Amino acid sequence: MKKLIATIIKEWILLRRDAAGLMLLFLMPAILIVVMALVQDAPFRDYQEIRFDLLLVDEDQGSLAKEIKAGLKQSKTFRVIEEIDGKPLTDSSLKTLLRKGDYHVGIVIPKGATAEVANSANIIANNISKKLGLGGTMPARESRGDRYVRMYFDPVSKPTFRTSISFALDRYVTYSCSNILVQRISKLSKLAGDTTEADADFKKVFAGIGIREEVLNERYADKTHINSVQHNVPSWAIFGMFFIVIPIAGHMIREREDGSAVRIELIPNAFRLVALGRILFYTILCTLQFWLMVAIGLWILPLMGLPALFLGTHAAALIPVSIAIAFAATSFGYFAGAVFRTTNQAMPFGAISIVVLSAMGGLWVPVELLPPVMQKVAVISPLHWSLEAVHHIILRNANIGSVAPHILFLLCFGLVLWTISAYTNISRKKGI
Amino acid sequence: MSPAIDISDLHKTYPGAWAPALDGLSLQVRRNQIMGLLGPNGAGKTTCINILCGLVKPDKGKVLVLGKDVQKEIQDVRRLTGVVPQQIALFGNMTAWENFRYIGRLYGLSETQINTRGGRLLERLGLMPHADKRIGRYSGGMKRRANIIASLLHDPELIILDEPTAGVDVQSRALIHDFLTECHQKGKTILYTSHHLDEAEQLCDEVVIVDEGKFIVSGAPKQLIEATARITPCSKLEDVFLHYTGHSVRD
Repeated sequence: MKKLIATIIKEWILLRRDAAGLMLLFLMPAILIVVMALVQDAPFRDYQEIRFDLLLVDEDQGSLAKEIKAGLKQSKTFRVIEEIDGKPLTDSSLKTLLRKGDYHVGIVIPKGATAEVANSANIIANNISKKLGLGGTMPARESRGDRYVRMYFDPVSKPTFRTSISFALDRYVTYSCSNILVQRISKLSKLAGDTTEADADFKKVFAGIGIREEVLNERYADKTHINSVQHNVPSWAIFGMFFIVIPIAGHMIREREDGSAVRIELIPNAFRLVALGRILFYTILCTLQFWLMVAIGLWILPLMGLPALFLGTHAAALIPVSIAIAFAATSFGYFAGAVFRTTNQAMPFGAISIVVLSAMGGLWVPVELLPPVMQKVAVISPLHWSLEAVHHIILRNANIGSVAPHILFLLCFGLVLWTISAYTNISRKKGI
Repeated sequence: MSPAIDISDLHKTYPGAWAPALDGLSLQVRRNQIMGLLGPNGAGKTTCINILCGLVKPDKGKVLVLGKDVQKEIQDVRRLTGVVPQQIALFGNMTAWENFRYIGRLYGLSETQINTRGGRLLERLGLMPHADKRIGRYSGGMKRRANIIASLLHDPELIILDEPTAGVDVQSRALIHDFLTECHQKGKTILYTSHHLDEAEQLCDEVVIVDEGKFIVSGAPKQLIEATARITPCSKLEDVFLHYTGHSVRD
């Protein structure tokens, strides 16, 4: 035990004198968390949470345009702009503003749009009237089908953004058309002497079947959803933990190069205890690193206008998870230090492998968004298992039982690397 | 009493090597003796030391250190032996005291033992004023002396030194000489390799010359010089060495 403690003290002395290593372990993930959480805050928010400036040109001036504008204005998603500097927008000024990149979306409701919708409604109402024998008719001409509510987008707009705007507009247009149609049918039935149906009942017709989101987790339902903080804090904390590979491998190789590793070999029964002490020290260090990053998510990010990190309803389950991640990360560093002969080999391997494994594991882009092949490949990344375990706890309110397979995977991953490292150490040519 | 080191018929060929590093080497070092192990580059001196401290396994042969079989009782051998490697086998980012405390604890020494022995050795080898400086900031001679202290903290019976004075100034070399002589006077056995033959001539009770992994000749330096002088002009150990190992450069 004294030898283990002595090794932990020695590792601490060496680490605290390695300013670059310390910065790599604590400052880098802290900066990544703050920067990435701030940068990705907007993209992670639902469109309902962010208001977009939407340029609107109303050439119609009819009820359809009124319905669309009312819908857009009621929505929390859009801030409708119809005039700039007191001048009403036109089709050409709208295009100019979009081309400049000042705005990202604009719509033009064409002249005669309401008349076209009303004509279509009249045709349908007349058909119904004829089939039901109501007797009345509305004035109608043949439908032209050449009127469109036109959408214009800044070329940098993402396809998902375009689709969501299109869906929103389609909803308002459909609502407006249905409204006009029901009014026409109502009018026809009144002409036929029926006074029981009132236009006020129109909304009830559409409430026949609705859509409503129900929460999976009743407790803290408002907090357990993915957002920039819930994604970035665990992601970059795990990324930073695995970067331990660089100081561990660096120290191990330097000790072999300067001969201090041989010194340990020459001390009876010391080598295994020193290796164990090193793993223990860095596992403790990585675990502290994880909780420091969690603390940033809990207390620092809210100071920057971001939501506080929510740890789920079984936050204690994060303790064994963080230890398992720390053990896997430390073993990976030990593996790199054992397998590679020089720091020139180990350092690029360490840095590149962590970047690749983190990209594969969904730390940069959620795994669900990766191509199917990459989703399958993701399971070999220990960073994927690490992130999944943390997400289970902080987003799905999972308990320790639910993340046991993740912990087991990470421990097995660490043990396999330890075995390979031990074999490499035994078979390596040694000497004074 | 068994010899301090008893090597018989030692063979070692490294994988891929074109010649054996050791080719049937046999030698004995008596207890309380300073033995100089001499030989040109590639003679097998370092391989011999590596086998003595259990870092390399021999292909064939038997090695007993203080009566213990190196291959079966290596931990006991390591407890009784202090090996001073040619490299400065210390943590450069730690001070001398931090190094000695750590190494002492790994040897299972108590805090008092570390402080007493470490303090005495630091004082004797002139490093006490620099004990709290990082090893990386030491001069070459200071590093060598610190390297010796780290190997002797556990008070070993047998001290093995691989070129302990390589690259040090005259003052440091003299200090190390005096210190090794003191250790010898206190009953320690010393096996020592060096390319400084004048140093070996002064320091050693006996020297053994090895070449191409084989035993060539051994004896007290004075006797070897006298014996060689009967064959060829010879006034110092270097002449003996060149007589037996030749003038061709070894790579």
